[in-house]
Amino acid sequence: MKNIIEIKNLTKEYKKKIAIDNLSFEVKEGEILGLLGPNGSGKSTTMNCILSLLRYQQGKINILGKEMTPSSYELKKEIGVVFQDVAVFDELTVYENIDYFCGLYIKEKNMRIEMIQKAMQLVQIESYQDYYPKQLSGGLLRRLNIACGIAHQPKIIFLDEPTVAVDPQSRNNILDGIKTLRQNGATIIYTTHYMEEVEIICERVIILDKGKIIAKGTPDELKELAKIEEKVHVETTNLNPKYLEIIQQMANVEEVNYDHFILSIYYKKGQNNLTKLIAFLDAEKINYTKIFSERPTLNDVFLELTGKELRD
Amino acid sequence: MIIFKTYLKILNKNKWIVILYTAILVFFGIFNMKTTETTSTFTEQKPNITISNLDGETRITQNLIQYLQEKCHVKELKETVSIKDALFYREIDYFITIPAHYEEEFLNHQNPSLKIENTGNYQASLAETILVHYLKIADTYNEFLLSKEEKLTKINETLQLETDITLTTKKDTSAFAKSTAFYNFANYSILAGNIYIICMILASFKNEKVEKRTRISSLKMETLNRHLLLASGIFTWVLCSLYIMISFCLLKESMKSIYGLLYILNCFNFSFCALSIAFLIGSLVKQKEAINGIVNVIALGSSFLCGAFVPLEFLPSFVLKIAHCLPSYYFISINEAIGKMEEISFQNLSTILIPSFIILLFSGLFIILTNWLTKQKQRIA
Repeated sequence: MKNIIEIKNLTKEYKKKIAIDNLSFEVKEGEILGLLGPNGSGKSTTMNCILSLLRYQQGKINILGKEMTPSSYELKKEIGVVFQDVAVFDELTVYENIDYFCGLYIKEKNMRIEMIQKAMQLVQIESYQDYYPKQLSGGLLRRLNIACGIAHQPKIIFLDEPTVAVDPQSRNNILDGIKTLRQNGATIIYTTHYMEEVEIICERVIILDKGKIIAKGTPDELKELAKIEEKVHVETTNLNPKYLEIIQQMANVEEVNYDHFILSIYYKKGQNNLTKLIAFLDAEKINYTKIFSERPTLNDVFLELTGKELRD
Repeated sequence: MIIFKTYLKILNKNKWIVILYTAILVFFGIFNMKTTETTSTFTEQKPNITISNLDGETRITQNLIQYLQEKCHVKELKETVSIKDALFYREIDYFITIPAHYEEEFLNHQNPSLKIENTGNYQASLAETILVHYLKIADTYNEFLLSKEEKLTKINETLQLETDITLTTKKDTSAFAKSTAFYNFANYSILAGNIYIICMILASFKNEKVEKRTRISSLKMETLNRHLLLASGIFTWVLCSLYIMISFCLLKESMKSIYGLLYILNCFNFSFCALSIAFLIGSLVKQKEAINGIVNVIALGSSFLCGAFVPLEFLPSFVLKIAHCLPSYYFISINEAIGKMEEISFQNLSTILIPSFIILLFSGLFIILTNWLTKQKQRIA
């Protein structure tokens, strides 16, 4: 796969405070690349620099083999952006809003009508086309925001935290829509601080912190960076603290903690741990209401690499 | 085209605000014109005077009294009313006491003096003018003629002399004073209307988030500005035309003349300037809440400074110096010049052509400034 976007040595400073520090990466054609990092890590700044919305002190940005500048109007035709904040006209209906933003790229009216229908279908807001933004829920507004950004069917789509403050139903809907865009051939750059979303939709992930890349690779590759292979959580109300030490001494256990009636056990290796633990709990007659096992998440990777959580 | 259509859609969504705001401005314009005082007829004024004659039935004294009776209302006061009370309560404006031996001293060139008491108001000044007029003529003939009869005859002949006045223009100044007042007020109406409505609509387009999305699109910002300016121009044209139509309804005679055409051209020229001002402000203002304040500062401020509400001749010189920096001053100056213009000549037209050109320069400057600002904003930091 060829590189659609190439960023080399990008550095951006705000009043001597470095927001992006010598960043270099590529985006391959047809992939969904996740830019993951906590708030203030430089995700949105990177995106704004790529889109020439921000000046940068150093670096080179090429899109489709051409240098991206504020006046690269031909390149801009191939780009769609969905910003974190909903950017629509309050005075226009859902349909009129999509028509306006699509009209900034596509002059031909009939072609636009077709594209608007497809965009509305993608985010499932066809039945709200005559509604005004103020009449829509937060989730529907986000979907409208996405439709406005992708209606002109761009080759490259930037999505900046499109699911912030969205209900689960709308979130699933948005994520399904993004997968469909990818299937239709679009290359997607997806910034978020929700690791679950990245794991669901991204093929490759770049983890940013303080403007620097601290890890990159596929979600599975990144998870290998974590020291642990399995996490087991037990919901129990009567755990005697003496058991914590006993569990800590068990095979493969890296860390144990008990907080808010949840016993969490982190294993270095991920084989037969749950069976052994259940056997131990039964033997010691420790009652529990819920027990489940999970693989390490990207948050664990981030925690491992930076000592803090993604949502910090 | 999509920008143009969207602009009109947003204008349509705000139609009731637009209609109400325009109606209020037009109403104030009409009200201002109706309250403008103009003088088109002449009525002779006669002050109320009282004469106390201590000189008796002498010819010279009687001649003076007869003249005063023709030019003034001579009132007899009741014996119970004092002179001071009559003057205080404005029963009379002027009280003249002709002293004893007045004729004798007059004929002997002893300069007899009349005792005067007055209210000091306009009517008293008029009475004084009438009296002084008589006394100056009487003194002149008293100096050079010998016979009393001859003096009286010459005095009366001279007093009856009249001057023929021929009007060199048929222009009805009262109608044009109203037109000038109406179009001077247009400075406020057109500026306020344009700034308020255009900024309100542009605020939607220039909303930070929407503008960011527009900036990353393949549409050039210059194209966006051009389309927005064109759509705003249509609103400006409608507002200006409405104002002109109303002036035709209210001031038929003056508006049908060539001077009416000059008012209209000036109004269109200034409307274009108001559009460019509104467009510049619209590109700077992001919040709709700020528009009301800006309208007050710019439209109301420039109207006060440049004589839209108060005639230019009443404004202090330092205010006029500041006003020279504003296009409103030139718009109002042109209206005043049209109102006072006696005839259409190259010399008269040149007095309005230069300020018209200055207004055009202002318009060009504001548009260039807007485009420059837009280019600067292409990148936000």
